[in-house]
Amino acid sequence: MNLKKNILPDKKSRWRTVAVFLIAVITGLGFFMAKEAEVVSYMSDNPLACVNCHVMTPVYNSWMHSSHREWANCNDCHVPHNNVFNKYYFKAKDGLFHASVFTLRAEPEVMFMREESEEVVQNNCIRCHVQQVTQTKYDGWIDDHAKNRTERKCWSCHQEVPHGTVHGISTIRNNIAPIPTDTDETVIPDWLEKQIADK
Amino acid sequence: MKNKVLFIVTAVVVFLLGLLASSIVNRKNEAKYKYVPQVEISENEPRNEEWGKNYPAEYQSFLQTAETDFASQQGGSAMRDVLHEDSRLVVLWAGYGFAKDYNQGRGHQYAIEDLRNSLRTGGPKGKGDGPMPATCWTCKSPDVPRLMNENGIDEFYSGKWADKGAEVVNPIGCADCHDSKTMKLTISRPALVEAFEEMGKDINQATHQEMRSLVCAQCHVEYYFDKKLPGKEGIPYLKFPWKNGMSVEAMEKYYDDIGFKDWTHKLSRAPMLKAQHPGYETYLTGVHADRGVSCADCHMPYKSEGGQKFTDHHIQSPLNNVANACQVCHREDADKLKENVYERQRKAAENRLKLEDFIVKAHIEAKKAWDLGATEEQMKDILMDIRHAQWRWDYSAAAHGASFHSPVETARVMGSAFTVIQEGRLKLARLLSELGHNKPVEMPDISTKEKAQEYIGLDVEKMKADKEAFKQNLVPQWLEEAKTREAGYGAQKVSMNK
Repeated sequence: MNLKKNILPDKKSRWRTVAVFLIAVITGLGFFMAKEAEVVSYMSDNPLACVNCHVMTPVYNSWMHSSHREWANCNDCHVPHNNVFNKYYFKAKDGLFHASVFTLRAEPEVMFMREESEEVVQNNCIRCHVQQVTQTKYDGWIDDHAKNRTERKCWSCHQEVPHGTVHGISTIRNNIAPIPTDTDETVIPDWLEKQIADK
Repeated sequence: MKNKVLFIVTAVVVFLLGLLASSIVNRKNEAKYKYVPQVEISENEPRNEEWGKNYPAEYQSFLQTAETDFASQQGGSAMRDVLHEDSRLVVLWAGYGFAKDYNQGRGHQYAIEDLRNSLRTGGPKGKGDGPMPATCWTCKSPDVPRLMNENGIDEFYSGKWADKGAEVVNPIGCADCHDSKTMKLTISRPALVEAFEEMGKDINQATHQEMRSLVCAQCHVEYYFDKKLPGKEGIPYLKFPWKNGMSVEAMEKYYDDIGFKDWTHKLSRAPMLKAQHPGYETYLTGVHADRGVSCADCHMPYKSEGGQKFTDHHIQSPLNNVANACQVCHREDADKLKENVYERQRKAAENRLKLEDFIVKAHIEAKKAWDLGATEEQMKDILMDIRHAQWRWDYSAAAHGASFHSPVETARVMGSAFTVIQEGRLKLARLLSELGHNKPVEMPDISTKEKAQEYIGLDVEKMKADKEAFKQNLVPQWLEEAKTREAGYGAQKVSMNK
């Protein structure tokens, strides 16, 4: 109520109409921007949401050709899964960071994870592969087993998982995987569709 | 004053919001062009080398399908004379083209050349001559969608194989699977679209991952030529028998219901079916398909070269590329993986050969029954058994990959064929003894391809001579004509601005 009083001029003021109009303009623009940015798609786990930014196309493609494709989507590895609030909080934070860099056209040729993200990914490796990394029975008779297991990142050895060894936003020239900006929904060329319809 | 400040601040905020929105719109548009090729390739460009100018990495790897140096246990890219390796096949296909000549296919680069060279296509002397219909070209070249687009689908399927020899000259390539504007995977052959329609499915609903198999399913499937389509009588129209499903029984029922036969067997006079590489249908029943793996995942895996990632267009046996094809998922030793494949193939082959022996015997026993004066009535059921058994054998054998793609289904299909053929031979044994022949039927010597071909009465020398004459006389004319035509296409300039 107070907020309303602070923002909106008095009912009798000649500014009242102008103010209402301007607030509506800002709100409308905000909605337009949200629509253009496909904000809603980021609520989902669909990998295609990540390719809204085309700089993610090379990582999308390498994941699409990896064995993780059938089991893990982007979010399975790149956002935390300890609880749903943390998941969306981290996603929003990371997403806004990405969006800022992208808007400022400051995206690097080769992207590296920030320390925070590395921790998230490491935890997610363990989340699925817990069997492989916690053979406690080895602790007794393999030197440094626990240390090797806990003080390194999985990808210090498994460098190619799952995005391959070639990284960078210029590593692909053409992409025929689906991108969200695609509007074309048919897989049959026009001439063929027409001829089959005319049968 | 306060209001004025508010006004200015608001205006600035709105301006910045607008900037951000416009930046988003701009960068989204960038996506349309960033990794999407912007080159001019005309809609029906059949010449792979024209596409290759714009996609050097893909094209270079595609050219490698010309390699013939890899022979696996039962496949690979090397040329193998299948009839020589297994002479039973000559008898199984007596009266049909496959008894003349049948080689293990080489890479896509050879699609045109090997079809011209095959004795099955005969030695036509000109238009309207020769044993095969024009429909045989359907899977061989990107000239096919060009012709279908120019003259219509029905016209393409009409006439003889030799009629279109000058028109179909480029081997399987880019335009068969790719849209020339967007490069997206596309279906260029009507038969697959129509088969989906018959099954009540819409192929436009296919996901990108499904498309990575469906472009292969345009050709690597079981098919037949339907000459009785209403309104298209007499045209050997290419169709897939998928209306009831893709299993061996569903297709068998389909053929029985429409009373279709590919040919009448020369010895047994059975109304035969020829199964032609139901690769896609059998793959679908296997564990890899069940786990979401597409054809391209193994036969065209991702590849890195010079800091660039792209799909390897050297379409080949994954056994020649175990590191990229298998070991992406299976972290075992390459030799171990190969051995796993070979073991499945060996076990399937073991049963397949036993089955062939039985079916060969059935044909020869049936011939004996005819010779002894059996009637149509007496033979009817027996011939249907032979038809069904050989169809099931062929379904499991002709899709060379099936013993690996789907070993369990392959074994099941062969098992059912054993049952059917032995039932048929029991009936035959009874009939033969009724006709006064109560002992084993004498089997001819068909131990080599030559002996078997002689037994079924093929004049191989004449066929070879005709083929040679055709290659000397007609093929050069075709090539000349094609050259003249393609010279008129011109080369589109590659442009970055539309």
